[in-house]
Amino acid sequence: MSHSHKLVIKRSSMSRPPPPPPPTTNKDQQHQNPSFQEINIKLIQSGEKERLKELLRERLLECGWIDEMKALCRAFTRKKGRNNVTVDDLVHVISPKGRASVPNSVKAELLQRIRAFLASTAD
Amino acid sequence: MSSKINGHVSPQPCPHLLVFRSRNGPKPFRALQDCIRVKPPGGRAAIRREPTEVPRCGTCEESSRSRLYACVACAAVFCHAPLLHSHASDHSLSIPGHEIAVDVDRAELFCCACGDQVYDRDFDAAVVLAQTVNATATTSTSGSTAMQCSVAGSQPENLRKRRRVDYRPWEPDSGEHISRGNQSIPLLDAANASLVSSTQQPWGLRGLNNLGNTCFMNSILQALLHTPPLRNYFLGDRHNRYYCQQKNGAINGTKNSRLCLACDMDALFSAVFSGDRTPYSPAKFLYSWWQHAANLASYEQQDAHEFFISMLEGIHEKVEKDKRKFQSPAGSGDCCIAHRVFSGILRSDVMCMVCGFTSTTYDPCVDISLDLEPNQGGSGKSSSAKSLNSFNVEADCMRPNQNCGISTLKGCLERFTRAEKLGSDQKLFCQKCQVRQESLKQMSIRKLPLVSCFHVKRFEHSSIRKMSRKVDRYLQFPFSLDMAPYLSSSILRSRFGNRIFPFDGDEQDASNDLSTEFELFAVVTHSGRLDAGHYVTYLRLSNQWYKCDDAWITQVNESIVRAAQGYMMFYVQKVLYYKESENQGTS
Repeated sequence: MSHSHKLVIKRSSMSRPPPPPPPTTNKDQQHQNPSFQEINIKLIQSGEKERLKELLRERLLECGWIDEMKALCRAFTRKKGRNNVTVDDLVHVISPKGRASVPNSVKAELLQRIRAFLASTAD
Repeated sequence: MSSKINGHVSPQPCPHLLVFRSRNGPKPFRALQDCIRVKPPGGRAAIRREPTEVPRCGTCEESSRSRLYACVACAAVFCHAPLLHSHASDHSLSIPGHEIAVDVDRAELFCCACGDQVYDRDFDAAVVLAQTVNATATTSTSGSTAMQCSVAGSQPENLRKRRRVDYRPWEPDSGEHISRGNQSIPLLDAANASLVSSTQQPWGLRGLNNLGNTCFMNSILQALLHTPPLRNYFLGDRHNRYYCQQKNGAINGTKNSRLCLACDMDALFSAVFSGDRTPYSPAKFLYSWWQHAANLASYEQQDAHEFFISMLEGIHEKVEKDKRKFQSPAGSGDCCIAHRVFSGILRSDVMCMVCGFTSTTYDPCVDISLDLEPNQGGSGKSSSAKSLNSFNVEADCMRPNQNCGISTLKGCLERFTRAEKLGSDQKLFCQKCQVRQESLKQMSIRKLPLVSCFHVKRFEHSSIRKMSRKVDRYLQFPFSLDMAPYLSSSILRSRFGNRIFPFDGDEQDASNDLSTEFELFAVVTHSGRLDAGHYVTYLRLSNQWYKCDDAWITQVNESIVRAAQGYMMFYVQKVLYYKESENQGTS
């Protein structure tokens, strides 16, 4: 969901898979790193990803981030009119602000949890 | 775009959904319902072909996308990030009839062509059901909350037990149990309704037994018990005598620590507002006050005004001990409830008659003591050259609305705020002249308190003549009083006109945002001689007047009050008074 600076949206053909786009999560991660995918799989299969998502939801609720996003959506919807707004519109509208306004403490906490999880499940 | 069916708003389907339905029957998502998986810990619904499936985009193989959609027609999974790329959109464009997809992590239907969520009643009902079943099976708290989800667009948040708290009727906790005690009765209790309604008297009217010349105390207490902000403070449990005594003991470290007058007030409020109409003996209160004002502790009659002042000091002193580090500006009323209610700020301007230099001082005050006119029924321009009316040369009796010869409270206030030439024996030091000069002094009110207490100086003690006497002259007082003419801004403007003042006279009055209108609610009267007299208080509740004569409380006509000999008059800001009247429980 992150913004790309490319102005041209490439159309992928069905025969040849295009190169994977930049990852949508941590910008610092190298997407070619196969362990990123492995980590993700590990998180999903163990159920940790779901737990992390719940934790994230709770933190974002506590700090008012969710309310802020709701307010942005409402404002946008009011401007454009109820019947002229799609989910994609809203996602597009709030994504930049949303990403930017996640508190550092929340990021740090989740990062810590992921590290701890990986350490505990290291082979 | 949406229609209402059975009160539920049902969004109109997009054209692609309509087409999809027409091709696949009325319940095209039936098969999808088998893939609904409810995942702990949040109890959210997801779509998985197999419970352990890790969805990934069929085009780019990514599983870490935030939005992954499964095509309902062919079950292929694709990612969707509209601005970057959308393999889901690509898929929908490439194969007609494959526009409808489902968000695999949210179990929400989506039209890739429209880029918007779509709804199917049966599918959403199935999701809700799945989440409900899961919730009731796995959690111990009542699962009844789950059933209230709306059909269109199920909200998983509603089903999370953590977020919702089941309704429980209020029960007092241990602290509140103590506060209630045995004396209190519920206000709206059917069993006690007869007690409340049978007596025609408002709440908080209870006689106070005379414990031996204590009518001076009883009269003031009755006034304080019905001072709206004070009453609200104590009835609102803002000073809890149970908690405070513990603190008090902790601070002083001794078991028999000094009693707290505020705690005794709290106990008094509890007793008087308990609903019990039998006269109450404020013995404990008297004893506490004796300890506070040792010099006044005797069975002799005391001055009610003196008692009033010492009471406020007592409340202030106790509270100040706790908040020693907290420095609040004088007169702001931040120190204690007594000052919050009664404290105003007086302004005094002293002008040198030689050079015109004026010095201004501000002093906090909890009441205003007013002199009666020196001459019986005389004109305002009394004997002395002391009084100087710079602009208004008419005497009091030339004002159209003043009865000549009758002293009025307003007259006293006018005299109080009049510019007064200090006698030649009272020369004040002028900073400019650097010598003592004859001066002109004028008082005005810089900040009005919530409750204005006016004390009429009826007792004259002359140490020179070694005698005291009481002034019995009648003073007329209004039921409604506008204090605007006595504010500093009014006084100065009327004296000098609209101009820039050579001294700091132009700052905003602190009471600008508050009203200047006051309503009378209590009158303390004194009858009899100086050495053998009796105090009685008249209370105005819900526009009815009640006479509080120690243990006897009777309803009286307002004319009785008007004719009474006022010694102390209590006025409250109008906004606070009318609110209080509305809340009186009885007819």
